[in-house]
Amino acid sequence: MTRFVLPFAACAALGAVALAPAAPAPVDPVVMDAQKQRVAAIKKVHPAVVAVCMPDGSGCGSGVLIDPEGYALTNFHVVQPTGPFPTAGLADGVLYKAVVCGIDKVGDVALIKLVPKEKGKPFPFVKLGDSDKVKAGDWSLAMGNPFSLAMDFTPTVTYGLVSGVNRYQPPEGKGLLEYTDCIQIETSINPGNSGGPLFNMDGELIGINGRGSFEKRGRVNSGVGYAISINQIKNFMGHLYAGIDTDHATLGASVGTASEDAPLAQMVVKQILEESDAFRRGLKEGDQLVSFAGRAITSTNQYKNILGIYPKEWRLPLVVRRNNERAEALVRLMPNQTKEVEKPGQPVPKGPPVPKGPPVPKGGPAETAGMYEARKGYSNWYFNALERDKLLKKVKDNFGDFTAVPGKWALEGTFQMADRNGPMKAEVTEAGGNAKVTMKLNIETALEPLKQTDLVQRQEPIGSGGLMMALYHYHRFLTVGPKGFEGLFAHAGNEPFYPPPADGSAPKSLAALRVDCAVLATKHGSVSCKWYFALPDGTPLGFETYLAPDADDTADRDPCEVYFYDYKAVDGRKLPHKMVVHYRDKRYAALTVTKYTTEK
Amino acid sequence: MRTTMFTRTLFVAAVAAVALVPGAPAADPFADTVKTANRKLVKVFGAGGFQRLNNYGTGILVSKDGHILTVASQLLDTSELVVHTYDGVRLKAQVLATEPELDVALIKIRLDGKKIDEPNGLDLDHFDFFEAAKRPPAEAGDWVLALSNTFEIALRDEPLSVQRGVVSAYAKMAGRRGVFEFPYTGDVYVVDAITNNPGAAGGALLNRKGELLGIIGREIKNTQSDTWMNYAIPITAKTDIRTRVTVKDKDGKDVEEEKVVTLTMPEFVKAAMEGKYKKFERPKPIAGAGGFHGIIFVPNVLERTPAYIEDVIPGSPAEKAGLRPDDLVSFVDGEPVISIKAFNEFIGKNTRAGTAIQLEVRRGESLQTVKLTLAAQPGKAPVVPKANPGPEKK
Repeated sequence: MTRFVLPFAACAALGAVALAPAAPAPVDPVVMDAQKQRVAAIKKVHPAVVAVCMPDGSGCGSGVLIDPEGYALTNFHVVQPTGPFPTAGLADGVLYKAVVCGIDKVGDVALIKLVPKEKGKPFPFVKLGDSDKVKAGDWSLAMGNPFSLAMDFTPTVTYGLVSGVNRYQPPEGKGLLEYTDCIQIETSINPGNSGGPLFNMDGELIGINGRGSFEKRGRVNSGVGYAISINQIKNFMGHLYAGIDTDHATLGASVGTASEDAPLAQMVVKQILEESDAFRRGLKEGDQLVSFAGRAITSTNQYKNILGIYPKEWRLPLVVRRNNERAEALVRLMPNQTKEVEKPGQPVPKGPPVPKGPPVPKGGPAETAGMYEARKGYSNWYFNALERDKLLKKVKDNFGDFTAVPGKWALEGTFQMADRNGPMKAEVTEAGGNAKVTMKLNIETALEPLKQTDLVQRQEPIGSGGLMMALYHYHRFLTVGPKGFEGLFAHAGNEPFYPPPADGSAPKSLAALRVDCAVLATKHGSVSCKWYFALPDGTPLGFETYLAPDADDTADRDPCEVYFYDYKAVDGRKLPHKMVVHYRDKRYAALTVTKYTTEK
Repeated sequence: MRTTMFTRTLFVAAVAAVALVPGAPAADPFADTVKTANRKLVKVFGAGGFQRLNNYGTGILVSKDGHILTVASQLLDTSELVVHTYDGVRLKAQVLATEPELDVALIKIRLDGKKIDEPNGLDLDHFDFFEAAKRPPAEAGDWVLALSNTFEIALRDEPLSVQRGVVSAYAKMAGRRGVFEFPYTGDVYVVDAITNNPGAAGGALLNRKGELLGIIGREIKNTQSDTWMNYAIPITAKTDIRTRVTVKDKDGKDVEEEKVVTLTMPEFVKAAMEGKYKKFERPKPIAGAGGFHGIIFVPNVLERTPAYIEDVIPGSPAEKAGLRPDDLVSFVDGEPVISIKAFNEFIGKNTRAGTAIQLEVRRGESLQTVKLTLAAQPGKAPVVPKANPGPEKK
């Protein structure tokens, strides 16, 4: 800055020499204002920048605190060598014990938690920005600990332009560390800056620095660095807080340009996996992809960018063009990393399996004692239980405790289907191993959920995808809780949920239905469910019941979807008085409950 | 919201400041300038893709019909040149003219079914090159923006990468690529940002208003410091070209004469756009020119192979003067001889048959002075050097 205004300042000084040799050179107020703003931004965020230290003192990565409890973002490749118990230094020179919470190996992100020196003492933290608003040509600040320069953890600040946004950088080895939709910066980042924050000039966190194009210049800044966009990290934030070893996603289809030589790139489906949700939603080879999650698909990089920022199992709207007709559908994403297939009939392994990765020191340091629990699929099960219980408590506080009414539940009211309507009655009894569900819509059906194993019977009433089974799990979820789900009872991160209009009208758009939810995943017997709770108040908006997620006939893999509306109090507890049931791409029925009977 | 408002106020302030202070301050955002400039640039794809030669680069649109300025690299050495415009359209292109001594080339978009020189109906955003060339060059200390497809980060409609820097110097540069000297030796903008990466060549160096200043050059190393250069060739670049012209001598006979002409980038671009650019006749290679000495040097394998004598041709001036194998030619007419190439250049430039020269040669530990009178170049008859003589008998 000084350098820039020098010619002008020098001229002014020359002119002034004769009159007043000591007169200060005038500096344009705009320059001074910009400098003030920059200094203020740095001052604001400075205390929240973290130096993540390697165990043997072999160097440092960087990180940034994002909430007062001490949760901090960094790169996965920074905590990979530290194991579950990194140490972290703050700008005040104090070294803290920390524990790894959630990890995103593909996205190269990790969430760690610093343990305060005094219990409950808040940490300084930064505000998350909106990286979709960042443009090429914007100023940015990178902070961190390049070359482990600062022995007292005082962060180094570098300043420069955003060179590009929505950049794609392919994975580095084994499908990991893929940078999608990332921010390209000329702001110097060097070894040691990894995991550190990228800020806009308001001091809001817009990305996590992690990678550069180095090539011939050795492993130092070559004018091209990349930061993982904070909006991508926001999609995974629920997973990271819940200690999940998260995965990114694929559509289940290979997509390429229709013709390399075409003047404009058209992205078409080249091949599609039959087990993908996209296939069941009607995606076919040769379909042209128009947009995904509301963003136009114009190139291979763009397609990878759009897809790459979402966790597996997220449901997002896909628009395709086939024979000049436009079709839109919600598609559930498949996992990216190859899943170890659980063979049916295999005994459920008892106790947590041995974790892979770096060896865990016994118990870890005293400060983090009890804050780490290994479990397959989770980077730290301790945080999953923590987040899950927090969510359950919130739901209990707002909607009531149902453990006092574990007996028979009866629902009375009416049903509406596409072609008929009439009175509805349903009953759910737990009764130990003799659980039973009966339901009368048009005709009467009954199910013994633990005894009947035939899929066709389990999916009754016909066309519902297993509504009786769903009600059995709903009853169990509310009245028994975690103890009732021997297979799994876990926090599954955050996901979007799309409750259709209760009255059956056509929605304005699929995207307009989206409500961001915290998700619990359960498994009891062979049936898995996903439960959706609106952020932030925890309203249960519905659930999905998967009777046969691995069925050989892939058509049977779709869940029975139940959406809740119209919460009213029943004996001091709140229950939904309207439910809409969807299966495959159709609305099966809407149930209006006029009376709940909940027995003790 | 706060951000937007802040930005707006700042922008107004900056505009006001521009009027007052030449070379205004640094706070206004570049996003709009970058967006506008990106529409005037293309990604270029051509030959390469092996041995660290990139098959991608950048180009600057200088007409609505799709005339594109880029560097004269191996990229253009193909009949399948392709460009991607800012909106992702893939188009074929053709080389119109190249000028190695400015390291610049003009290519043009070629539409199927249209001749290269007929109106093609395109209406592309472009830089007004000739207006830009009228402006005085930027000075050391001025802020600049560099836009290019560095590292081939962008494809199709993805925007090019932008960097910001300061002009460190506007000066002559001696550079090289590998062992070859870089042909352009005129003034360049040296910048403090790391602009010259793979794929960046042909990108635009702009002032803060988005006006064209120069063309980002290829990756080359500074001959003096052996470091990678970050530079751009100014659009007003000038170079002196040694060329051959035919003139009448005093007897009215046609003779070839060497002449130095000055070529500027705007002259090149104008002529190339009009399809009138003709390459200058370069002087004939130096080998064979000048007087005949009869020295056979060791194989010339390095950029600076020392001028060791391997052998001398029997009956040649060199043999007559007593030059021997393993002599190191160190000075010719008082000029230091740093390499075989330098010696050949000196002979080619300064001598003819009958010229007497004086060499200082190192023989063993001593420096010997040797005088010889050059002869006429022998005819095409093969010259067979005599067998390597054994060690001299004492």
